[in-house]
Amino acid sequence: MTSSTELRQEADRHAPKKQFWAMFVRPEIGPIGVMILLFGMLGYFSIPAAESTWNPFAGEGFNALGIRNNLRVISQLGIIALGAGLLIIAGEFDLSIGSMIGFAGACMAMILRWGFAVLIPYISFDGGVHVEYFTIFSVDHVTPVWAIFITMCFTLTFGWIQGFIVVRSGLPSFIVTLGGLFFLRGLTEVSLRAFNHRPDQSAGSTTVTEIPDLKNIIDLQGHGELSRLDAKSLPEADLVNLTQSLSTDMVATLTERLAYTYNRVAEAKTAIMETKGVKPLEKALENAVQSGNDYMVNTIQDKIANFSVDPVVPKTVSDVDVARAYIDTIPTVNQVANFFGGNILEGLFDWLYYPIDWNTNNFGNQFAPGLYSCVMIWLILSIFCYIVLSRTQAGNWIYSTGGNLSAAQANGVPTNKVKISLFVFSAFCATIFAACQVFEVNTSDAAKGNLKELEAIAAAVIGGLVMTGGFGTVLGIIVGAFIFGLAREAFFYIPGIDGSFYRVFLGLVIIASALLNENIRKRIMGNI
Amino acid sequence: MAQSGSIPLIKTSNLVKKFGSFTALNGVNLEIHPGEVHALLGDNGAGKSTLIKILSGVFPATSGEIEIEGKPIHFASPRDASDAGIGTVYQDLALNALTSVTRNFFLGREITSFNSPFGLMKMREMDRIASEEMAKIGISITDPEQAVGTMSGGQRQTLAIARAIYFGAKVLILDEPTSALGQKQQMEVLKTIKRVQKLGDIAIILITHNEIHARLIADRFTFLSLGEVIGSGTAEDLAGDDIKTLMAGGAEIGDLAKELETV
Repeated sequence: MTSSTELRQEADRHAPKKQFWAMFVRPEIGPIGVMILLFGMLGYFSIPAAESTWNPFAGEGFNALGIRNNLRVISQLGIIALGAGLLIIAGEFDLSIGSMIGFAGACMAMILRWGFAVLIPYISFDGGVHVEYFTIFSVDHVTPVWAIFITMCFTLTFGWIQGFIVVRSGLPSFIVTLGGLFFLRGLTEVSLRAFNHRPDQSAGSTTVTEIPDLKNIIDLQGHGELSRLDAKSLPEADLVNLTQSLSTDMVATLTERLAYTYNRVAEAKTAIMETKGVKPLEKALENAVQSGNDYMVNTIQDKIANFSVDPVVPKTVSDVDVARAYIDTIPTVNQVANFFGGNILEGLFDWLYYPIDWNTNNFGNQFAPGLYSCVMIWLILSIFCYIVLSRTQAGNWIYSTGGNLSAAQANGVPTNKVKISLFVFSAFCATIFAACQVFEVNTSDAAKGNLKELEAIAAAVIGGLVMTGGFGTVLGIIVGAFIFGLAREAFFYIPGIDGSFYRVFLGLVIIASALLNENIRKRIMGNI
Repeated sequence: MAQSGSIPLIKTSNLVKKFGSFTALNGVNLEIHPGEVHALLGDNGAGKSTLIKILSGVFPATSGEIEIEGKPIHFASPRDASDAGIGTVYQDLALNALTSVTRNFFLGREITSFNSPFGLMKMREMDRIASEEMAKIGISITDPEQAVGTMSGGQRQTLAIARAIYFGAKVLILDEPTSALGQKQQMEVLKTIKRVQKLGDIAIILITHNEIHARLIADRFTFLSLGEVIGSGTAEDLAGDDIKTLMAGGAEIGDLAKELETV
């Protein structure tokens, strides 16, 4: 018989982490790999057909406008994925996110368009039985802050109710929020039709339009508050006056910038005309070479070599132009509307146009004005969620509520409060999403946010969350949103392929990630 | 070792618990002294679980009294019992296998700045305390960030015991701590209990089915059968055969081998 009596302690069986290796056994490593792959795909597939290069950053997916648009898709999804993800970590689902987006958007848009009033209906018997309304109070013009605040009151209350029903009844949250999904979507459509009557319509439309472009309203001296567009189309005499009232430094800066733009546009025009002129000659040369006519070949080659167009003369900078450029620099009076629907990093993108000349489109104009501000909101929310989940007591409560509910309760964790708060937070994220949309496009539609709840859950699963709860990180949720958004954009650029293939790809990624996550979870749980 | 005559940490007199017409406990008297391992033995349905659930505040007794250090006390909730210094380690241990040792050690009682749920947890301090407290009763963990799911059953038991002691348990109720463990890990747990006993100021109520384990570490025995105490005494009072008989609720268990032969 052989035996080893060497004393091993239980603790020895757990090898200490190796710093370098630890980086690769993080649960997010798989998703991060997929994300890098998709970055590459987006770059390569979006390289224009005429160019041949191995640099993925030459692709249209990574030019200024590409970055702006891609990040918008990713960050909007990212915002709701945070709400859905934290709830999944606590062991519950929210299927009402999409309908909540539609409801919040419609609510906000209606308040901005028609104001807000609290009415009490009662039955009146004067002149036949009918319903009349007693108005408690009514406001016609609601500021963006109040519109968001009132909407939040509705949506957060609804989130709270869903959470309350789940913890009190013990029903699966899947069922309760499925009810919420239909209830809210229906309520949105019904109230939009009820409030949105036009004189020529029997039933109202389910869209709200004609909301003023709040984020672009400025306070122009001598003209009061008006939109930038109206300000730019003031009579020319007014605009000239405006320029003359500016400091010489300001005028000099604006003029320099405008002169650069006009020069750049003229250059681009010249270049376009040259290519346009040479193209037919090149075609003719090809034909000539094919037919073997040496004389023609020589003549055409000569013509191509000597081809030139007169360079386009740049526009001169007038006082009116300076005034219009100045109007673009005046800050908005609606900072809140701008916070949700405006642009960020405008200074950086200006600099990338002049003097860097990277943020320039084919016609010589500035390409992207900046990034959508939902990117910044996503960043703020992500940092908040990361700190709460990984560093605070509340985070430990969230993990334990999803990981082992009875253990959490036995240790005095208020698991019901944790769950209800996260249902409320999920509603909060949906409302923020809606605010970003409403203030960006100034319209709302009852169909907004359709299927978003499933996209949010998909992003969370791809990012390494386990459906049974208790496992996952904020970094994972962020990466999941990136993968979802990048896949959608990258497949769009693949030549000769139906853009909807991105769904096929995502379907496979979701199943693969779920398998991988389950595997990681089992390793950590010791195969329980 | 407890001195006879000193005030017991817990004393129950005439505890009765009825569930409707069913009498689960019928007048149980028990004295638990500091520094002592008190084995609570009995067959299934003897009333062990009912007794510890009353002691840990899960439900109140129908009649009878509980005294802690001589003062009568009434538990309205498990929280009350734990505030009074009764720490119960249930069989499921109340651990979240997916998170780290430290996060489990401080679950529900995290050390945070500003004393708010949204205050940052003082992870280093918590890591240090968790490691120290577990080392005190004999297990050194290399990495306090290790997930509990990767630990052995014995280590988990130790974690749960260390946690109960650190958060002020004067009486530790261990509900079948050695069941569902392998030989070696049973030994680990018994060693842990011995170390806690040596600390001197903590009383341990050990519920077990395993008379060998009880005989190895218990100082005092109480046998329950059908809701009543049918025997008690110190380790010296009881001869080995008595224990076996009493555990079966007084019924004569003959030689197991002989009995099996007749089948």
